[in-house]
Amino acid sequence: MASLSIGAFYNPHLGAELVRTDGIDHLAMADPPAAGDPHWPAIRARYRLLLHDYLGQLSEPLDERSIERARTLAELYRTPWVAEHFQCLHTQDGTYNLNYVFPPLYTEEFLTRFTTNATALQARLDQPLVMENIPGFFDVTASRMPEPVWLRRFFEATGVGFLLDLPHVWLEAHYRGVKAERWLAEFPLEHVVELHVAGVEEDRDLRGPWIAPSEPSDEMLALTAHALARCPRARAVTFDAFSPSLSMDVLLRSVQRIREAV
Amino acid sequence: MNDRAVQDLLIRALADAPYRDSAEWRARALADPERVERFARFLARHFYHERIVHFFKYSRALGRVTGRRPEAVLTRPDFDALLRAAVLGSRATAQAVADLVAAYVRDREAPGLVPYRDDLLRYEAAMMVVEAGPRVWTDTGKGEEGRGKGASPEIVEGTVLLELTYDLPAVLPQLLKPWTAVPQAAARPTRLLVARSPYGRVAVARSDDTVVAVVQLADGKRTLEQLAAGAGLEVAQVEETLQGLVDLGAVRFSTGS
Repeated sequence: MASLSIGAFYNPHLGAELVRTDGIDHLAMADPPAAGDPHWPAIRARYRLLLHDYLGQLSEPLDERSIERARTLAELYRTPWVAEHFQCLHTQDGTYNLNYVFPPLYTEEFLTRFTTNATALQARLDQPLVMENIPGFFDVTASRMPEPVWLRRFFEATGVGFLLDLPHVWLEAHYRGVKAERWLAEFPLEHVVELHVAGVEEDRDLRGPWIAPSEPSDEMLALTAHALARCPRARAVTFDAFSPSLSMDVLLRSVQRIREAV
Repeated sequence: MNDRAVQDLLIRALADAPYRDSAEWRARALADPERVERFARFLARHFYHERIVHFFKYSRALGRVTGRRPEAVLTRPDFDALLRAAVLGSRATAQAVADLVAAYVRDREAPGLVPYRDDLLRYEAAMMVVEAGPRVWTDTGKGEEGRGKGASPEIVEGTVLLELTYDLPAVLPQLLKPWTAVPQAAARPTRLLVARSPYGRVAVARSDDTVVAVVQLADGKRTLEQLAAGAGLEVAQVEETLQGLVDLGAVRFSTGS
């Protein structure tokens, strides 16, 4: 992937069209292919695939089963890197699970946990590990440092790559009442390997915007171009939408508009 | 309390509405309560949307003739009311949400078109409820697979035995393929066992009298021999049945005192 690769997520319900279409350089895989997916062999033959599954939360060490699963998927996809998230979404005893990305506390303890466990995972993978930033909808008083500072320290300690999710940055800026470009400038962009771009829509529970399987706005695309100019190691931009409600029109148009914007 | 334990409190507050409403949580003042409540409701709708679409996919496929999409309950007032006591991932909340879906789908008559509709809704609800409950996220090597040697077999909590009027397994795959006339199920008494692995995988298997006997007697106290004697079966037959049930996640071996 010498030049910038522009892609999307593999949405199995669009498999037949994805096999035939042009204009998409890579597909990120959020789930393993279903056993009966008739399009999977052609998708695998045709596309560069990026592993972007749930492997486990790195607030705890991954067990052997999870590591083997990650290795198997990485080999199946021939992925250039393996992605995980800065998330801590289930309790240690397994009783409570949010089933949705949720960031850890930004503290020394969690920095040590993620640094240790990401380093251990990286040592077991044959591909580089990249980690994605996760948005918070509210501040937690127990956090002890700003997210961008915590992320910078993590990347400097581990040498892991940064998967910069721009809508996540945009949402945090929105809910903090600051300009997205200003908030983005705090992040360690020199570590970015891949960027995620997506649309946002109003959510009735949040009474505000949140990530949605929709086209990125002109504002989001402008932020993408702004960010890319500051990410010298970036190798891929991915339209981050994975939903049965996503149409092929929206996917193709979004990829095309991202390509034009960057 | 270390930071990981504090994070657990946050996760619990977002998942557990009664806890979120408690004096204990409020006294911690970890975050803006109004923001937490909004995010918790967002998470709950997302959590059950994913499960309804997955577990009620056959009723969803029948939506063309019934006019009812199961996930539509998520925007109805009775679901909003349920959120006040919801605990994400609990069996009680899974049952309450499944009941809402079933009532909503049943509410629209489609006379004669789907005679097995009640069986189907029971099946789908059972799948959703069985999936709920605490699960193992990290394999600690302490035998969560439940294959302790020489121990007593025990039915796994949450395992469900369904007695149906129609042969649903034969018709379910057809519902997810293109069809013009509604696929029909044969009226044939059918027993299904629905179980979940410690890692959260839900599985269904047809069951027979042997399976029913073993499931009813596997209490974690009876030994293999006692179980075989109680069921009136050969030990080898019970052993083979138990192996299948362990693989399904319906039975584990109790190694406790």
